Order: sequence, then C-alpha cells, then structure tokens
Amino acid sequence: MIIEFFNYALNGALLGLLYSLVAMGFVVIYRASKVFNMAVGEMLVVGAFLVWWAVQSRGMHPAVGIGVALAISVLIGLAIERLLFRRLIGESVFSMIMVTIGLLILMRGLVLLIWGPQERQFPAIIPLAPLILGDLIVPRSLAAGGIIAVVCAAGLHWFFNRSRAGLAMSAVAEDHQIALAMGISVRRSIAFAWALGGVLSVITSMVYLSGKSLTFLSSEIGFAALPVALLAGLESIGGLLLAGIIVGVVQGLTAAYIDPLIGGNAAAVVPYVFMLVVLIVRPTGMFGWKRIERV
Amino acid sequence: MDPSGIFSTSYARDSALVRTRAQWLALALFGAALLLYPWLASPRLVAVANLMLVTSIVVVGLQITTGYAGQINLGQAAFMGVGAYGASVVEVKFGLPFWVAVPVGGVLAALAGWAFGLTAARIKGFYLALTTIAAQFLFVFVVLNLPSSWLGGVNGFSLQPARLGSLVFDSDRALYHLFLFSTAVMVFGAFGILRSRHGRAFVAVRDDDVAAGMMGIDVPGTKARAFVLGAFYAGIGGALWAYQIRFVSVDQFTLFNSIWFIAMMIVGGLGSIVGALIGTVLIRIVQEGITTLGPDLIEFIPTLSSDIVFASMNVFLGLVITGFLLLEPKGLMHRWNIFKATYRLWPFPH
Repeated sequence: MIIEFFNYALNGALLGLLYSLVAMGFVVIYRASKVFNMAVGEMLVVGAFLVWWAVQSRGMHPAVGIGVALAISVLIGLAIERLLFRRLIGESVFSMIMVTIGLLILMRGLVLLIWGPQERQFPAIIPLAPLILGDLIVPRSLAAGGIIAVVCAAGLHWFFNRSRAGLAMSAVAEDHQIALAMGISVRRSIAFAWALGGVLSVITSMVYLSGKSLTFLSSEIGFAALPVALLAGLESIGGLLLAGIIVGVVQGLTAAYIDPLIGGNAAAVVPYVFMLVVLIVRPTGMFGWKRIERV
Repeated sequence: MDPSGIFSTSYARDSALVRTRAQWLALALFGAALLLYPWLASPRLVAVANLMLVTSIVVVGLQITTGYAGQINLGQAAFMGVGAYGASVVEVKFGLPFWVAVPVGGVLAALAGWAFGLTAARIKGFYLALTTIAAQFLFVFVVLNLPSSWLGGVNGFSLQPARLGSLVFDSDRALYHLFLFSTAVMVFGAFGILRSRHGRAFVAVRDDDVAAGMMGIDVPGTKARAFVLGAFYAGIGGALWAYQIRFVSVDQFTLFNSIWFIAMMIVGGLGSIVGALIGTVLIRIVQEGITTLGPDLIEFIPTLSSDIVFASMNVFLGLVITGFLLLEPKGLMHRWNIFKATYRLWPFPH
C-alpha cells in the first residue's frame, strides 16, 4: 500500500518535472521579452516533427539529426521575432497575447498542411526500458526528463539572475521603454528569447515523446503545463521545479485514488482548480514579481 | 464627428445614436432589407444568416467584456455553452416554453461569468487571460463528468423546436425573424448600457484601472459587471443556438470557438458594437466559403487530403489574428471612421 503510494507520488513528481520543463518555454520567453507565449505546445510539436523528419524520415544519425533540428528550430524562433514581435515592442498585453494565440493556430494549420494528421512513430532517443529502484518503477524517459529539467532550471536561473546579459533581459521583461532608455537592445533580447524557446522545445519534445507516437495533437501538453507556470509565477525559473512537483504529485494521486471513485478524468482538471485557488489567494503565483503600479 | 451644420441643442440630441435624417433613412432601408431577406435568399443562405445573428449576440457580449471593459476573455464559448445547456435542460427536463428557457440560459451563463468576474477583480493581464482558459476546461470537464442523465455527457442533448402559441419554429426560415428580433433587442441594449454610467466606467477601467479607482469608480465591481454582462450575452446567444441546431454537445463550445469570437472582434475593431457585427458577418462569410470550396478544391487537386479544410481554417484564423493586430490593430471600424471624417471635411484637410 505505502509502496504503491510512493510509486504514484514519485511518478507524479517526475511528470510534474516534465511539465515544468514545458513551462520553462513560457517563462524563458517571458523573462527575456515580456511576451507570454501561448504557442509553447505548438513549438514543441514543430520541434518534435523536425527531429522526426531528420532522424526517422531522412535517416540521419540521432546526434546529427538533433543538431539539424535544433538549428532549424532556432531559425524558426528568429523568424517569429523578425516577422511578428519586432513590430509589437511596447504594445498592449492584449495584442501580445492574441498574437501568440494567432501564432498557435497558424502553426497548427501549417503543421497539418506540411506533415498531415497521421500518427508518426517518434524515435526512441531515450531507451524505453523502465528503471527499477527496489520496489519503485520509473520510466527512463521521465527520469531523464527530471534530470534535464533540474539542469536547465539551474542553468537558466544562473543566467537570468547572475549574468550581465540575463539581467539586461530581465529589464526588458519589466518594461520595454525603460529598457530601451537604459541602452538595452529590446530586439536582440526578444530574438534571443525565441531562439532559446526553439532550443527548449526540441529538448522537451525528445523527453516527452521519445518512443511514443507523434501527431499534431501532442501540443495539448502546452495547456497542461499552463497551471505550473502560473503557480510558480511567470518570472521565476527555480520556482517552476517546485510548482511542477506540486502539480505533478497532486495530479498523480488524483488519478490513482480519486478517478476510480468518480469514474471520470478528474486528474486532467485538478491542476486548473488548484491554479484558480492559488491565483485568487496570491495573484502573482508563488514566486512571481509583485509590480507596484502608478498612474 | 457630425456633418457640417448639425448642432445638438439638448443633452438627448447629443447622446442620440441616430443623428441625421440620412442615417434614419439608411437604418430604415437596412431594417426593411433584413426583414425581407428570408423571402429573397435560398434556405441555405437563411441558415447562414441565422448563424450570423446568433454569433453576433455572442461577439457583442465579448465586445462589452474585452473591447469596452478591457478584461481579456478567452472563455466566451464556455459561457455560450452554459447558456445552451441551461436552456436545453429547462426545456427538456421541466418542459418550459422557449421564452422562459432562453432568458434562464442567459442568467445561468451570467452567474458563471460572475464567478470568473470575481477572479478578474484580483487578477489582471496575462493571469486573467489564462484563468478564463481554465473556464473553458472546467466547462468541458463538468459536462462530461456529471451523470449523463443530467447533461447528456458525451452524447449531447436533443431539443424540441421552439413554440409560441400555434407557431412552431422548426425551420431556419421560421426562426429567422425570432433571431432578428432578439439580436436587435440585444444590440440596442448594448448601445444603451455603453452610453450609461456603467459603460463609461467600463471604458475608464479599460484605459487605466488604477486611475479609475482614484476617481471613485468601484473597480472590482465594474470588472465583475463586465463579465456578468458579457456572459449574459453569450448565454442568450448559446440558448438561441441550441434552438437553431436543436442539439447541444461540448465540442460545439471549445477554446477554438472562443478564439474565433475574438478574431471576429479584432477584425471589426475593439471597442465598437458595429465593429463586432461587421467582424462577425465577414468572418462567417469566409468560414462558409472555405467549407463550401474545400471539397471542390480536393476534387480539383487530388493530392490534397480531406483535412485541407480544417488545416486551411487554422491557417486563415492565425493569419487574420496576427495580420490585423500587426497591420490594423484598431480594426475595420477605425478605417471606416477615418473615411467618414475625411468625406465630411472635404475639401479641407482637418
């Protein structure tokens, strides 16, 4: 019984870390550009299709194929900045958020036009055999995802809070106009944000989809990761790990113990309810910046 | 701006919606054309017009919440769904007539809107947009997981046609005038609300909520009212939709539909009721075009698969939203207003 409980909790926590890796796509772009990117799920699918195309369809060696996918993904990120967000510097929250939603829908349409709706077998980049630690059974891809999430979070946390370039980008996230007045290039910061988002989406897609089937609907994980980003607060990278673990454990235990009772899929919606409650109590999430507003 | 020579001599004249004789004439002709439309158009086109009327009620509601009060709402389709389900339950389970069921649907949706308006009182910007997405997910979850004898679960719900005395509204042609009347009432109501104290409070909160609070406006109350009103419109629209399709299920009210509503509002122009109507009509025309032309296109170019319709809908919607926000963020009504000012001032530049 107790072992079972720990197994559910551990798997939930690792799934939560995968969510926090996806949510890092939101936070990284937000921390460097003040744009909340709703299209994270679609970027992930595009990254996944690029890896699939290079490794499976073109038959490249995985290392080369991943390199090619990363390069194309960075180029797509830069193109998005050049075509869309360069013109939106200093625009309203509504415009920013709606442009990313437009981008989401556009990317979904383009993925359908280019690759079609068929299911594709994603290459098993991380071996499929589960890890067995005593009585606990953990899928290897989730374990690898957990480690990658912690490493990425540590690296990005250092970059945004300690390095000179990262602090300049934090200024952009606070206010475009003030950042411009301080001599920081808002354009370069946003371009960097989207390139980094492209890299993260390829990494995340390999952790998430390794050995599974890939369709355009795999982007749903972007919405599943939303509560994690909001719970942590949009500005905090380290907080994502904690928020991811909380959401993952709550979801894992709901799926194990409550879903059989009500015979429905409560696990899918519990993170949202949890997020609503937290936001009503603490509107900026657990570690978000509190902004002081003046007229 | 009024044409030269028109001066308001009383407050009533100054706040009038229709300001000149030419406008009265245009309105009368437009109204007559709308009334005669079902006898002039084919049944298919009447069905499309009904859909446009219902959608325009929903988009006018979204315009109040987002365009006027500035509260981003990505869950309008969920509120529409609450109205549709509310009206269907009242009709099917309690056997009440449609003129009770439709307002009940509206009121239920308004209650749901009130719940999310309360969060809007504390949360703003990105966070608010994302909590309204949560409304969308919660709606689907609740409908699918309640016992299927209550809301029909995955199978959805069928309705009887609406009745009024001996009149039975069982065809699109019969429903048309009912929908036209409802839309006219709702649109007129929206104009009235937005000219009132509440409408001015909405605009003040949209432009700067901190400043609005300092001027004595009850900011949380105003935000909650904006959500209640917008959701009420969505609920009425949803209830009428239920009577048109006579079948409701959750996949009619998805996040994707909410985004279509926002696109309609952006195309027309934020902060304009007429803009909401124009955007709805234009986008619906293009949607119909893609659905009708899609199959022909597949026959013409056989390499295209049948998913081309869904894919090109997505590409179109994405391009419309990003294109308008980048190139014409104030929408088509802004263009029209510039044109009107120019011809009224001609030959002077300003």
